[in-house]
Amino acid sequence: MISRLTVSERHLALFVLGALALAGLAMAVGGRGDPLAVHGVIVLAASLGLGFLVLSALFSPEPGESRLAEYYDDPTKAGIVLSLAWAVVGMFFGVWVAALLAWPELTFVDSAWASFGRIRPVHTSGVIFGFGGNALIATSFHVLQRTCRARLPDQFSPWFVLIGYNLFCVIAASGYLMGMTQSKEYAEPEWYADIWLVIVWVVYFLIYIRTLARRKEPHIYVANWYYMAFILVVAVLHIVNNLALPVSFGHAKSYSLFSGVQDAMTQWWYGHNAVAFFLTAGFLGMMYYYLPKRAERPIFSYRLSIISFWGITFMYMWAGAHHLHYTALPQWVQTLGMTFSVVLLVPSWASAGNALATLNGAWHKVRDDATLRFMMVAAVFYGLSTFEGSFMAIRAVNSLSHYTDWTVGHVHAGALGWVAMITFGSLYALVPWMWKQERMYSPKLIEVHFWLALAGTVVYVFAMWNSGIIQGLMWRTYNDSGTLAYSFIDSLVAMHPYYIARAFGGLLFLTGAVVCSYNVWMTIRMARVARVPAKGDVPLYGAAQAGE
Amino acid sequence: MDIDHYSVVAFAKSWGLFYLIALAVGVTVYAFWPGNRKRFDRAKKSILDKDDRPGGENDGN
Amino acid sequence: MKEFFHRRIERNAIGFVLAIVGVASIGGLVEIAPLFTIHETVEAAPDMRLYTPLELAGRNLYIREGCYACHSQMIRTLRDEVERYGPYSLAAESQYDHPMLWGSKRTGPDLARLGAKYSDAWHVAHLINPRDVVPESVMPRYGWLQRNPLRIDDLGEHLAAQRAVGVPYTDAMIENATADARGQANPEAAESSGVTERYGEATNVRVFDGNPSLVTEMDALVAYLQVLGQLTGAAHQETAGRQE
Repeated sequence: MISRLTVSERHLALFVLGALALAGLAMAVGGRGDPLAVHGVIVLAASLGLGFLVLSALFSPEPGESRLAEYYDDPTKAGIVLSLAWAVVGMFFGVWVAALLAWPELTFVDSAWASFGRIRPVHTSGVIFGFGGNALIATSFHVLQRTCRARLPDQFSPWFVLIGYNLFCVIAASGYLMGMTQSKEYAEPEWYADIWLVIVWVVYFLIYIRTLARRKEPHIYVANWYYMAFILVVAVLHIVNNLALPVSFGHAKSYSLFSGVQDAMTQWWYGHNAVAFFLTAGFLGMMYYYLPKRAERPIFSYRLSIISFWGITFMYMWAGAHHLHYTALPQWVQTLGMTFSVVLLVPSWASAGNALATLNGAWHKVRDDATLRFMMVAAVFYGLSTFEGSFMAIRAVNSLSHYTDWTVGHVHAGALGWVAMITFGSLYALVPWMWKQERMYSPKLIEVHFWLALAGTVVYVFAMWNSGIIQGLMWRTYNDSGTLAYSFIDSLVAMHPYYIARAFGGLLFLTGAVVCSYNVWMTIRMARVARVPAKGDVPLYGAAQAGE
Repeated sequence: MDIDHYSVVAFAKSWGLFYLIALAVGVTVYAFWPGNRKRFDRAKKSILDKDDRPGGENDGN
Repeated sequence: MKEFFHRRIERNAIGFVLAIVGVASIGGLVEIAPLFTIHETVEAAPDMRLYTPLELAGRNLYIREGCYACHSQMIRTLRDEVERYGPYSLAAESQYDHPMLWGSKRTGPDLARLGAKYSDAWHVAHLINPRDVVPESVMPRYGWLQRNPLRIDDLGEHLAAQRAVGVPYTDAMIENATADARGQANPEAAESSGVTERYGEATNVRVFDGNPSLVTEMDALVAYLQVLGQLTGAAHQETAGRQE
C-alpha cells in the first residue's frame, strides 16, 4: 500500500514518523520510574516499525496520475479490518468482566493487570473507540468520497488519522492494564494520549472540510452532516472534559482542572454527549447512507432527516444533567436536563421512523437479506433505547434506576442493538464493494451472525432489566417495622443468576463478531485469489460507470 | 467572579428558551423552504446513482 | 467564474461547521457556566481539612484500581439512601476532589461515609481477599497492595499540582509531603508529629497495614478509605438542621 503513496507523501510520512519517534524517546527518558516510560517505548517502537515499512518502499515507482480518477479506499479497507479486530478484543474483555461478576475468581490470582477494575475500561474503550471509532473513520471516508463525488484530498492524511487513532487506542488499553486512568468514564486516557488525539482529530476534520470543498455535488448529503457533527462536537467535548494538569512532564498522572460538582457536571455533559455524538450522530450518518443504498430506495423524508439532525445537535447538549438526579447538583440543572432528555425523544424517533419508513415497500428484501435486516433491527433498537433513555431521565424513574444494572442494560440495548447492529449491517454492505466482490464469502454466515447478535442482545438486555429493577426495589424496600428490609449483600446475592445470563448473552454476541470477522477475512481472501475483478463489479455501483 | 450567580442562572433560563424556539423555527423554515425542494430531492436520489468514480459525469442529471 | 463558485462552496462548508459548533455549544455553556459561580451558593464547610499526602496517594490508588466503577461516593437525597449510608452528600464535601469520584454504578455499596466504620485490620483483610470477610462478595482481591511499597518521593510534586488546580496546600505541606506520608503510617517515627500539626488533630496516624517498617500501597489506600466522609462535619450538621 505504501507504493501507492507519492514520493513526497512518503517523505512526509518519514518526517512525521521521525518526529513521533522523538516524542516517544522523550517520553521513555523523561518518564523513567513511571509507567509513562512504557508508553514512550510503545510509541517509539510503533514509529520505528512504520518508518521501516515506509523506507522499504521508498524507492518503488511513483503511482501514475490515473489514481486521481479513482476513489482512495485503502484506508477504509484497513479501517474495516482494524474495527473487527477491536470488536473481538473488546467484546472478549466484555465477556470476561461479565463473568467476573458471577465468578470473581475467574482471573489470574494476584495479577493486578487482570483485575476487574483494570480490564473493565479495556472493554468499554475497546468496543466504543476501537470497534466503533474505527468503523466510523472507515465508513466516513467511504461515504464522504461517494457523496461528494470527489477523491480524498491526499493519501497521507487518511493514514495519519487511522494509524494515529489506533495508536491512541493501544495507548489507552495498555495504560488501563497498568492502572493509568483519569477515572472519568469514557475519557480515561491520560493527558498525553488526549493531546495526541486532538492532533489526530484536527487532521481528520481537515480531511473532511477539504473534501467537502472539492465536492462536485451542490448539496452536502445529510449523512455528512452527522459525520461532521460527530467530528466537531467530539472535539469540543474531548478538549473541555480532559482539561487537566499533569503532575510533571515525567508523570503519566494528572489532576482534573475541575473539582467536585463542576467536575461531575463537566464529566456527564461529556459522558452523555459522547453517547450522542460518538455513538449516535456518527452511526446515524452510517445509517443515512448504507440503509438507503442497500435497500436501493431513497430515504423516506429528506426534510425529516434535516429537522432531526438539528434537533439532536441542539438538544443532546442539555441532557447530561440527568446522570446526576438527587445529587449535590443544583436542582434547576437537574430539571433542565430532565426536560430536554424527554423532548429528545422527538428527533430520535423521527430518525428511527425515517429509517423504517424507507424500508416500506422493501420488506421482502428485509426478509431475504440479513444485511438489511441488521440495519432494520438497529433502527428498531435505536427507537427503543432512545425511548428508554428519555424514560429513565425522569427524576422519579431515575431514583430507582440510577446506580443499578438497569443503566447497564440501557447502555447495551443501545450499544449492541443499535451501534453494533448498524455497524455490522454497514460493513456487510461495504466489504464486497471495497474488495470488488459480488457478495460476502458466505451469506449463510451473515444469517448465523444475525441470529447470534439478536439473541445475545435480547438475553443481555432482559437479564439487566430484571437485575436492575430487582436491585433498585430491594434497596428501597422497608419491612413492617419501618426499617430497610435488605442488606446490600442480599441484593448482590439476588443478582447472581442474572449475571450468569448476562455473561451468556455477551458470549453469544462475541461469537457473532467472530463469525463476522471470519466471513470478512474469507471475502478478502476470495478477492486475493480472484485478482481479476469479478464481472458486474459490485451489486450497486456496477459496470455502468461511464455512459449514464 | 463579578457576575452574580442568580443573574447567570436567570440569563441561562430565559434566553435558553428563546434560543430554542428561534432555532426550531429556523430549522423548519429551512427544511420547508420551497427553493430548497429541488436540492433536497436531488440529494436524496443522488446517492443511489450508479457511479464509482470521482468527478462530475453525473452533473446535469 | 469557476473560481468564484469554488470559494462559495468552501464558505458554505465552513459556515456549516460554525453552525454545528454554535448550536451544540450553547446547551453545554448554559448548563455548566452557572456552576462556576455556584460557590456563592454552596454551603460553607469551614472545618474542611485537606487530604494528607498519604490519603491523596491512596485516592490515586483508588482511581488506579478502578474502584469508582463499582462504588459511588454520592448519597442521594432519598430516604432509603440516607438510612442505609448516612447523611446525603453535599457539594462542599467534594470541593477539593480533582477529579470527583461520585461514581455511576453500585455493584458494591456507596462509600461516601465509609471512614471510621470498620477497623484497619478489617480493611486489610477485606482487600487481600474480600471473601474471607464477606463470603458472598464478588469484589476482586487486591493482594499486591500489601506487597508493593508506595512511591512517596514525588508526593511533593503531587501536592504542588493539586495546589495549582485550586486546593489550598501550603508551602510547608508541599515541602514535607514525603516525610508526612512516612510519619502518618508509623506513629513511632519522629516525622509523625508534623502530620497532625499540618493537617489537624483529627488526622489518623496509624500503622494502617500492620507493618510499621514499610509504607505500602495498602497503608495509603486504607488511610484514604478511613477518611471518606470524615473531612468535614457539614453533612451531619445539615441533616440535623433539616430534622429540626
